[in-house]
Formats: sequence, C-alpha cells, structure tokens
Amino acid sequence: MLKKKGWFTLLSLVLMVSVVLTGCGGKNNASSGGNSGSEATANAGSKDSKETKNLTFMFRGGTDEQKAYEGVVKKYEADHPNVKVKIVVTAADQYATKLKASITGNSVPDVFYFESGDLKAYVNSGVLLDLTSYVEKNPNIDLNNIWKYGVDLYRYDGTMAGQGNLYGMPKDVGPFALGYNKTMFEAAGIPLPDKDKPYTWDEFIKVAQQLTTDKDGDGKLDQFGAGFNVQWALPSFVWSNGADWLDATKTKVTIDDPKFIEALQFFTDMQLKYGITPSTEQAQTLDTYQRWMKGEMAFFPVGPWDMSTYEKLPFDYDLIPYPAGSTGKSATWTGSLGIGASAKTKHPGEAVDLINYLTASKEGMEALVKAKVQIPNLMDMAKEWAADTTTKPANKEEFLQVVNEYGRVLPGHYTYNAEWYNLFYTDIQPVLDGKVTPEEYVKAEQPKMQKLLDKAVEQEEKSKK
Amino acid sequence: MNVKSNLYRKEKIYGFLFILPPLLGLLIFTLYPMIYSIYGSFTDWDGLGQMNFIGLSNFKDLWSDELFHKALFNTLFMMLGIPIGITLALLLALGLNRGVPGTTAFRVIYYVPVISSLAAVSIMWNWAYNGDYGLVNQFLDLFGISGPNWMANKYTVKPALIIMAVWKGLGYTMLLYLAALQSVSRSYYEAAELDGANGFKSFWHITWPMVRPVTFFIIVTNIIGGSQIFTEMNIMTPTGGPEYASASVVFYIWQKAFGNFQMGYASAMAVFLGVFIFVVTLIQFRMNEKQSFDVD
Repeated sequence: MLKKKGWFTLLSLVLMVSVVLTGCGGKNNASSGGNSGSEATANAGSKDSKETKNLTFMFRGGTDEQKAYEGVVKKYEADHPNVKVKIVVTAADQYATKLKASITGNSVPDVFYFESGDLKAYVNSGVLLDLTSYVEKNPNIDLNNIWKYGVDLYRYDGTMAGQGNLYGMPKDVGPFALGYNKTMFEAAGIPLPDKDKPYTWDEFIKVAQQLTTDKDGDGKLDQFGAGFNVQWALPSFVWSNGADWLDATKTKVTIDDPKFIEALQFFTDMQLKYGITPSTEQAQTLDTYQRWMKGEMAFFPVGPWDMSTYEKLPFDYDLIPYPAGSTGKSATWTGSLGIGASAKTKHPGEAVDLINYLTASKEGMEALVKAKVQIPNLMDMAKEWAADTTTKPANKEEFLQVVNEYGRVLPGHYTYNAEWYNLFYTDIQPVLDGKVTPEEYVKAEQPKMQKLLDKAVEQEEKSKK
Repeated sequence: MNVKSNLYRKEKIYGFLFILPPLLGLLIFTLYPMIYSIYGSFTDWDGLGQMNFIGLSNFKDLWSDELFHKALFNTLFMMLGIPIGITLALLLALGLNRGVPGTTAFRVIYYVPVISSLAAVSIMWNWAYNGDYGLVNQFLDLFGISGPNWMANKYTVKPALIIMAVWKGLGYTMLLYLAALQSVSRSYYEAAELDGANGFKSFWHITWPMVRPVTFFIIVTNIIGGSQIFTEMNIMTPTGGPEYASASVVFYIWQKAFGNFQMGYASAMAVFLGVFIFVVTLIQFRMNEKQSFDVD
C-alpha cells in the first residue's frame, strides 16, 4: 500500500513537470506566433511610441570586427531611442552551433548573421523573415547602390537561390583578391605585375620561380613564390580554366571534367613540379599566412578583412588579378555573410531597420570601413574609397573588380548542404602529396560526392513540403 | 494516530521537495533530450522543420557510411591511451607512495593539467606539435631525430592526440591510485616479507589485487570518456585532420547535426554510441564480478 502511494506521488510529480514544460512551450509559441502578424502592420504607425522595443542581435567576428559592429549598434540605438539592442556575440567556430541550437530551441534572435549556403534550409523551414516588402517600402534603402552580387546571394524563389524574394542583406562582400609583395619584386629587380592584365599560368610560374630562393644560403628555402590553401585557392584555378564542381542544374558533380583535372594538376604542380610553394608540411607548420606576413612570400591571397592586420606589414603590398587559365580570365572566390531577421520577431520593422543600418546606411558603413574590416557595401562610397591610393593596398580598385566582374560563390552555396563539396577537401591530401594523380582522384571521388549531393537534393525536396 | 500520520505526510512532502531539484534536472536535461534524440534517430529531421518517421533507414545508412567507420575506428584507436595512462599513473603513484622528497610538489605538478581547461591545453599542444618550431620536435632534435609534422600527417595525428590525452589524465588517475595504495595495510607486506615475497611478487599478489577496484573504476570511466572525445580534435584539427584521421564519432555527429542539417542521422549515431557505451560498460561489470571470485 505504502509503496503504491510512493509511486503515485512520483508519477504525479512527473506529470506535473511535463505539464509545466509543455505549458511553457505553448505559451511561447502563442505569443510569438500571434504577435508577428498584428505587429507587422501596427509597426509602421507606432514608430514614435515611447514603449521600448527589445531586439537581440547575434553575430560573430574577430576582435577588431566585434568592436566595430558594437560601435555601429550603439550608434543605431542613439538614433532610435525607443529600441534597445541586446548583443550576443560568439567566437566564429561556435557560431553555427549556437545559431542552429537556438533555432531548434525556438528562440531565434531577432537579427542574426547567417551563411548564404544555409539560406534554402532556413527559408524552407520558415526561420527567416521575408524582407522584400520592408526593403521596398524603406526610402533609405537603395538596392541599386549595393553590390548586386551580394544582394543576389540572399534571394531565393523556392527552387533556385540567387533570384526571387530577399531574405537577407549582405553584411559585406569579401573579394579574395591576389596580393603580391611589392618590396620583394623591387629588391629582386623583377618588373611589377600588371594590375589589369593577369599573368598566364606559365608566366606566373616563371616569376614565382625567380622569387623562390634560399636567401641565407643554409640549404633550406626561406622565400617562396606563393602560398595557396587548397580550399580557398583551388576554385580560382578551376574556374579560370573553365571548369567547376557542379553543372548548371546544380545536381551533378562535374569534377571529372578534363578541364578540372588540368586545373588540379596545375595546382599540385606548383608544389611538386615547380616547387614554388611550401610543401604541405612546410605550409602547415608555419602556415603560409605567417610566411606572407614575415615577407617570405611573393604572392598571397588577400581579403579585405585583413587590411587592418596588414597595415603594420614591414613591406609594401598591392593587389593584382589571379593568373588566368585557358579561359584567359581571372576568377576567384568572393565570400559574404548575410544578416537576416527571424520570421517570428515581434518587431519586424525595427529589425529590418537595424539590418539596414548595419548593411546599407551611410552612417553604419562609414564606421565599419573606417575600422578596415571590410569594403563598403554602398557602391558610390566604395568608388570613393577605392580612389584613395594613399592607403594600403594602393590598388583597392581590384577588390571592386572582383565583386563586379570575376568573383564567384563557392559551389556549396547552391545546395541544401555543403557536405558533398567538403568531402572533396577531406580526401585531397594524397593528391597534394603526389601519391595519387589528380585524374585518379577525381574518378574515385566523383561517385562519392555525387551520392552525398543526391542526398542533399533529396533533403531539399523534403524540406519544401 | 492522526498526529503521527500528519507528521509522516509532512516529512514525505519535504522529502520529495528535497529530491525535486535533481529530479527536475534529470528529467529536463537528461531524460527528455535522450528520449527526443532516440525518437529523432528514426526520422529524417533536419534540425529545423518537421520530422518524418523513416524507420531504421538512418541505422542502415550508418552501416555503409565510410566516414562513420573511420570516425569509429579513430575513437577506438585513441583508447589505446587508456592502458598506457593506467600503467604510467600506477608507476608514478608507487613512486610517490615511497615518500620521495618533494612528493607534494610532484602531486601538484601532475595534477595541474587535470584542472586546466581542455581548450587551452589543446591550443598549447597544437603549438608544441608544430613541425618546424614546436617544442616536441625541438626536443627530438637534441637527439638528432627530425620529428614529423604531427598534426598534418595521418599516421602521427592519432598518437599525438593519445600522448596529449595521457598527459592530461595522468594526474587524476595517479591521485586515485595514490589514495588506494595508502589504504593498503602495511601488515600484508610485512606478512609477505616474512614468507619471503618481495619486490615484484608482493606487488603482483598484494598491491595489484588491492587496488583492483580503483583500476576497474578508471577503466570504466575512461572508456566512457574516451567514447565521447571531441574538444581536442575540434580545436586541434577543425576539419577532422588529414584524411579524416583524427575525427571522432562525436566530432562526426557534431558535423552532421550542425553543419549538414542531418539532425536525425546524427541522433542515430548518438543512439548507436550510447548503446555501445552501455554494452561495453555492462561487459566490464560482468567481468569484474567474475574476477572478484578469483581473488577470494
């Protein structure tokens, strides 16, 4: 009898707890769901009401970047006295985990960064607010003055990314231009590269070989022609040779294309045949980034986010187009990170205002550009910025050309997840070490990647229902 | 009668109130997520949208998933550190138990890694393993050995992680053994000495059996901990290492769940791992029971 009673109490406790739990969940849902509709319409009129509106803004970035963005948010609050912004900031490598956990836990921040590659998944599952109508209505936003490349990354029409409604604004665009050590060229008496005409691959090798030397005569190379991380630099060589990882329908892996093999061969030859780059081992010990900063490397990819770091370099550097493959045209990767709003935010008007302030307002952009962590999103401001050749790098114009003319997004962006694409780099080490030929590699890898891509396509189909 | 039962009831309520916080914690943070993830493992959930029941399909996929096999192998391989750690810790404990001068200082030295943050330790070892400038290779240089590039080579990355894990866990294991050794009564050794047993013999027939419960505890907790190894590789080889040679099961789960929108599949792996740990632990307990009889 007693025993039974004990169990009964325990059971009722469990029941009570579960009721409390579900009660909480239900209440949350009701309030967030109910508000999003009514407030959206009420918002426009109630702008000057004195009630404080709370927004959360979740983002990531290096320390310089964090400071810059916190400053801009403070300015936004000063301009919008009725809005309080709570900042949630994480280290870059924890960001994705935290964001996805908050989505699963139904507590999405009002305004947050997201990867353009995750756009489809977030839109299909109703996480992201459709910004189109807000942006069109807002007289302060002129989409024509923002990089089309950047804006289009956050468009999605339900089938293809890159067109349709707008679900985010580019925080920035990150053109990954090619830099060269000007001081090194001058010291070696080699004519400076042309900033408008890219090297051919052969020319590039020749120059780089001249600059790969053992300066102190100890039998070890201590100055290299170039340093390329396969993950970020290989796309440039593949694309400029007219190949790609995906076909136009984004459903077939095309790495077994001869043009692709040729580009991969060239990439590995730089190390194995011509010896102009540090070997994989040398590169991963003192990474190429460090070698470049110590002035031991002639060519190195440069992103705008590094401008503040490169200020203090002990040498002069400048930007040029990437060496061009068989298409005769340069190509490179251009990154971007989007800022979107939660579909369940209670204050969509203010959320979009904040996004606008961070991505498309003169005030916001000026502060961020001054911090040297990005190029301006506004095209007129960017032109003015690039025209100033007194600050390093002198040829900032190259960044703009990348965005306007030859920058591209990584193939993983087009698909529901980038697993298939990442596999390519997981297995590539033996190729870089010369143990497997590029041809063997792509033949073996294509079916594996295709299988993962098929799965991603299937997942995408399911997510639309 | 009435008074007594009132008191009884009151005490019972207090009793339940006292166990309520941990019980709530268990329900909310352990039981609920566990049941949720078991359910999730039978669905195609992407972590965002709706969950569709797909039966055992996730588990079938696990069977033919090369990367999962690799991760599982890596996880098991890295458990080689457990016997190494136990041997070293026991040797150290035996040494310290003899009352060498400076015992306290040594205890502190060995225990510092245990209380250090795993993330900080990982970053530090990453520098130490640097092929050109790292402490490890500089040390090897003294003996004319040119060390490998530890983290960039698929053959050395796992041993490198094992060495670090052993170093990190040594102090804890050693302290447990030290406590166990100190509780062994001296009279056993004196009796053994009278019988002519010394050195290794008395270790083998007295010390080792007497510290067996501690050894058992260490093996069980280390295998459970080892199955869940994650932070080290996440920091030291954020892409899973050369050819995925240092990815652990938990690392792969994390990649699938938060990188690739495959929460259902990741849940299936988590369930697999949970069952694996449960079974291994169960076997260990059974074996322990049997051996107890042998000693008696």
